[in-house]
Amino acid sequence: MLTLYHWEPNANSGKPMLALAEKGVPYQSEYLDLLKMDQHRPEYLRVNPDGTIPALVHGDLVLTESTPMMEYIDEAFDGPPLRPSDPRERWRMRWWMRFFDSYFGPSLSMIGWSVFVGPAARERDPAELRAAIERIPLESRRVAWRKAVFNEFSEEELTESRRRVRFAIAALERHLSQHRFICGDAYSLGDTSGFNIAYGLPLMQPEHCGDEVTPHIMEWLRTIYERPATRATWSKGRTQMVQRVALLERPNSH
Amino acid sequence: MLALYHWEPNLYFLKPLIALAEKGAQFESHYFDPLQFEQFAAEFPANAESQLQLEFEGPVLVHDGAIISSSFFMLEYIAEALPGPSLLPRDACARYRMRAFGQSGALLLGAAVATLGCARYLGPALRGRANGALQSRIAAIEPTERRARWQSLLEDSQETSVAAALGRLKRPLERIEAALSASPWLAGVDYSIADIDAFALLSPLPTLAPELVNATVTPNITAFLMRMHGRPAVRAALARSRTGRPAEAFIPGAEASRWG
Repeated sequence: MLTLYHWEPNANSGKPMLALAEKGVPYQSEYLDLLKMDQHRPEYLRVNPDGTIPALVHGDLVLTESTPMMEYIDEAFDGPPLRPSDPRERWRMRWWMRFFDSYFGPSLSMIGWSVFVGPAARERDPAELRAAIERIPLESRRVAWRKAVFNEFSEEELTESRRRVRFAIAALERHLSQHRFICGDAYSLGDTSGFNIAYGLPLMQPEHCGDEVTPHIMEWLRTIYERPATRATWSKGRTQMVQRVALLERPNSH
Repeated sequence: MLALYHWEPNLYFLKPLIALAEKGAQFESHYFDPLQFEQFAAEFPANAESQLQLEFEGPVLVHDGAIISSSFFMLEYIAEALPGPSLLPRDACARYRMRAFGQSGALLLGAAVATLGCARYLGPALRGRANGALQSRIAAIEPTERRARWQSLLEDSQETSVAAALGRLKRPLERIEAALSASPWLAGVDYSIADIDAFALLSPLPTLAPELVNATVTPNITAFLMRMHGRPAVRAALARSRTGRPAEAFIPGAEASRWG
């Protein structure tokens, strides 16, 4: 029995969703609405006391870290391999996944939370919202939610995040100008991870990511979006945020 | 050809030294002095990934032309690419735990321990020799994030960072203590690179944060550190020290999460 607790096909939730789709592994889907803070409700805290999503439950095992979770999915189930067999290329895959997770992703998500998650959450009653934030188990997540919901990001923090996003886009464009995928010629979890971070860039950062300035990133995103697993996964999205993926349709594909 | 560029056997540098000894691998040791900024010299092996340095500073492994950086992923590389005893757990579930500990080691534990070690040893040493030449050398470091870490040590006693680092240590320490109370090794019944990684990050803590890591509060971590010290590979790695005080050798480590 395999159950995935997840939000939208986006960032951390989207990583195991896409990896499972690429492997062709069926699973029980439990959708949690991040904007309603479903992940901090007692019934979910019984699954993952940290109150973070995604969580993958496989028999007695509960996995809560999305990147190691993807490697587990590749190792534990049949289906096409999603990691290169050459240890050097595996190292490259892991390096880039960490770059997406710890450098590119947090900077981009700070911007995303300030313009999307924060305003959406503020539509709720303020007292109810404050109580909901106090229920968040991890202090680091409480701080993050407070900042997003009450718009407490400093201009200095946002400026630094924008600088890092530009730096990361340039590094990725350089890499993809020499390699079709993150690890050479074959699709891997490095691409699964990168697509989840970067698919919204052409809409969020049009002056820094688009056909003119980053043609290799655009080709890489479109190539990944053409894969049946990506289409199937993104079709499960319920919010406008993930519908941004439509921008990756090739102009002549209809 | 296998070559390791490293400094004193501590923190990030200690990890591959132990793993290579566990594997019984023959390698060229290139000892460099990061306090003289030798890692920025033109002849130092570098590629796009090593220059970005997710850990800011650390060892570099060169294997038949491939340049491998980032210390936990270097351990996975050594485990997968070199012959010798397996340093990976046998089942997928334990390998997940190994990688989850590796991730938390890099993002939480390693960042906090490097902050504490730098505040105690590197910061005062840098400020003691501060002059125009040192300031210009540091001002020339790229990329920005790497430069900022050195600059902050030159300019600030790190009191705020130390308090934050001590706070951030509690959770990963609780997790490690709990894991070691349930099984002899971090990922389960098999000794693995998760243990090498954790040993390198934890062993400075009885000195740097004695209130958090000691025989009373963390009996399982304390016993684990002693068990690791008994391994011939750990002894061989520590014996590579040239200063005789490897436990004081710190340079800036990974950045703590900027938000949430």
